Amino acid sequence: MNNEKNKITNLAELKVGEIARVVKLNIQDKRIKRHLLDMGITRGVEIKIKKIAPMGDPIDVELRGYELCIRKADLEQIEVEVVK
Amino acid sequence: MKIGLLGNQNSGKTTLFNCLTKMNAKIGNWPGVTIEKKVGIIAGTKHEIVDLPGIYSLSPYSVEEEVSRNFVFEEKPDVIINIVDATAIERSLYLTTQLLELDTKVIIALNMADILEKKGLKIDISKLENELGTKIVQISALKETGIDELIKELDKLDKKECINIYDSNIETAIWDIEKHLDKELNHKRFICVKLLEQDERFKLLKTPVINNIIKETKKKYDTDLEEIIAEQRYNYISRTKEKCVYQKEMKETISDKLDKILLNKFIAFPIFVVIMFCIYYLSVGVIGSYTVDIIGILIEFIGENVNNLLISINTAEWVNSLVVDGVIEGVGAVLSFVPQLIILFICISLLETTGYMSRIALLLDRLFRKIGLSGKSLIPFIVGSGCSVPGIMGSRIIENEDERKMTVILTPFIPCSAKLPIIALFAGYFFPNSSGLVSASLYFFAIIVIILSALIMKKFVFKNVSSTYISELPEYKIPSAKYVAKDVWDKVIAFIKRAGTTILLCSVVIWFLLSFSFSLEYGVDIENSMLAQIGNKISWVFYPMIGEKSWGATVSAIQGLVAKEQVVSSMAVINGLAEDVEEGSQIFSKTGVFGFFTASAAYAFMVFNLFSAPCFGAIGAMRRELGGKRKMLKAIAFQTILAWILATIVYQVGIKIENNVLSISTILITGIIAIALIGIIVSKIKDKNSECSNCPYNKDCSKIK
Repeated sequence: MNNEKNKITNLAELKVGEIARVVKLNIQDKRIKRHLLDMGITRGVEIKIKKIAPMGDPIDVELRGYELCIRKADLEQIEVEVVK
Repeated sequence: MKIGLLGNQNSGKTTLFNCLTKMNAKIGNWPGVTIEKKVGIIAGTKHEIVDLPGIYSLSPYSVEEEVSRNFVFEEKPDVIINIVDATAIERSLYLTTQLLELDTKVIIALNMADILEKKGLKIDISKLENELGTKIVQISALKETGIDELIKELDKLDKKECINIYDSNIETAIWDIEKHLDKELNHKRFICVKLLEQDERFKLLKTPVINNIIKETKKKYDTDLEEIIAEQRYNYISRTKEKCVYQKEMKETISDKLDKILLNKFIAFPIFVVIMFCIYYLSVGVIGSYTVDIIGILIEFIGENVNNLLISINTAEWVNSLVVDGVIEGVGAVLSFVPQLIILFICISLLETTGYMSRIALLLDRLFRKIGLSGKSLIPFIVGSGCSVPGIMGSRIIENEDERKMTVILTPFIPCSAKLPIIALFAGYFFPNSSGLVSASLYFFAIIVIILSALIMKKFVFKNVSSTYISELPEYKIPSAKYVAKDVWDKVIAFIKRAGTTILLCSVVIWFLLSFSFSLEYGVDIENSMLAQIGNKISWVFYPMIGEKSWGATVSAIQGLVAKEQVVSSMAVINGLAEDVEEGSQIFSKTGVFGFFTASAAYAFMVFNLFSAPCFGAIGAMRRELGGKRKMLKAIAFQTILAWILATIVYQVGIKIENNVLSISTILITGIIAIALIGIIVSKIKDKNSECSNCPYNKDCSKIK
């Protein structure tokens, strides 16, 4: 079951292989938000779900040509629009 | 000229540093290898170069990243070499855009240019130079290409041009703020941007006028300026990348294929366990103990010959004893473990350089979070199995302060290579048929102790809630044989040096205290020696865990503070003297000073030495990382008391099994019942908490507080 195109959701809801564009960062903790911004998670960037850690968390995503591991709890705070 | 080397984590900074200075600093394939700055001189020049911890941005989140930022502002380098990982150019240039805003000259070293083609990338260098307004040199730090050109360009470097990154609103605000800043201030453009971002570090520069500019600018956007600025930086980079970088669509990489196996839902854990088991089995188990025996025989042979030689040239009896019983016996006891260490160091070095370490952190994050740690805590733990000192310092890669401090306190619980001799000695003698199993059980014991202490600390000391795990996942790399060899060599040499200095000195002191009485009489009965008398005063402390008031065991355990391997060394010296120089005598022969040791006392004594206060080196590292003497003392008290309690339990239970008072099945059943009871109590407590969290009045409830 794939997410439909253009559907607004959060990054934690996506499955491996899906790509989504960041719409909004809802992160409360300023330090975490700053960190994610610095790592390239800004509005408009496309993020692909690459791998999921064997225990289901954290999740490895691909963006801007590299791979980044983030916990589900933080991914939930990132609002995205499904691209593919 | 003073040069700073800055770049992302894992971008090859340290490799380049080694290449430029011909030094051999530590390299690994996980983010955060360099945790302190290292200074060197570029070979063939007078330029001083400083290797700094990797950063992604000039706004730091962890202690190690703070080091880099402080360097830029306080030590005022003449030039910054910005190393850019060509294979992750978009993210790497983010830091570059910030560095270009400083007044300092910047040169870009485009690293890993040699593997671009493999990744289907092509970069138009001269176009990128034009866009960024600064010099770019293509290098491969690993293959050492482009290094000479980089050094040449350092002298020719011009002042860079200003680049336009932001939209007109931000640019205007920058201009406006700049007018109100002190004319003498360095890095004005950079500071203006930071002021707009509301960076804490620069808040003292704020005036009401500047505050007003920030407020007015903020009104023009739908989110905070920090986000807007990051966004515009990345948008600028995306535009630049489109102009200068050509990328082919790539198929699945080898790393992806490997991860399908190594991070597979079902087999990732078994693989991890097997790998770790192999590492310790190889080093502590079969091969390790075989090599220890060989060297042991060799050292015995040397001791015998030296003894004969000394007798033949008629040296005084006490000189003879000093050389054979003090020096050779003491140092030799430690040196015989070198082959085991070589195997262990090779394995750890391989884990680090291949990139598997980052996978283990990812694999265990979820488990570790449950006990208040981060998956990244695993890196200090594994490094700590070599030596606690770099392990403790490696904890700096953890962003969350509480998780970091817990990791610092827990890392010494991992049996380090210096504790290996203790394990090997006791396990080899008392459990001859299952020494491998007993050694493995101690590592297992260590894991349980870590989990328990983490839970205790989480409950009573560090009650934090929020934490994150944000970390780059590097690709797998084939480790460089040259580097691994050098890394292992350096560590082994450091160990041998310690044996030749600290251990040697201690052995001589121990020999002296053993051979003389307080009235400085040589050749007294060992029970009347100074050391025996000192030891006797405090031997009651160890009584509950070894069942004997033994001054020998007492003083040996205390010497573990100097270096853990000294415990073995001290026992060898004490025993050698007590036995009246009877070569080849086993430390634990029934007539000797340590003859009282039974299997359970041996296991308990190991447990105490493993988990009590670490050596002075590690204590110093703990003090630095915990940020104060008081916290360090508390941590050490915690470790030592815990070790004493555990060792006592082990002995008291063990001795009952030995004497057949309790059968193993009785203990197993009581154990299971105890665990079940604890489980029930814990789940009850948890239930209570979750019940409260659903309650609408929980904020005002007194029960929660």
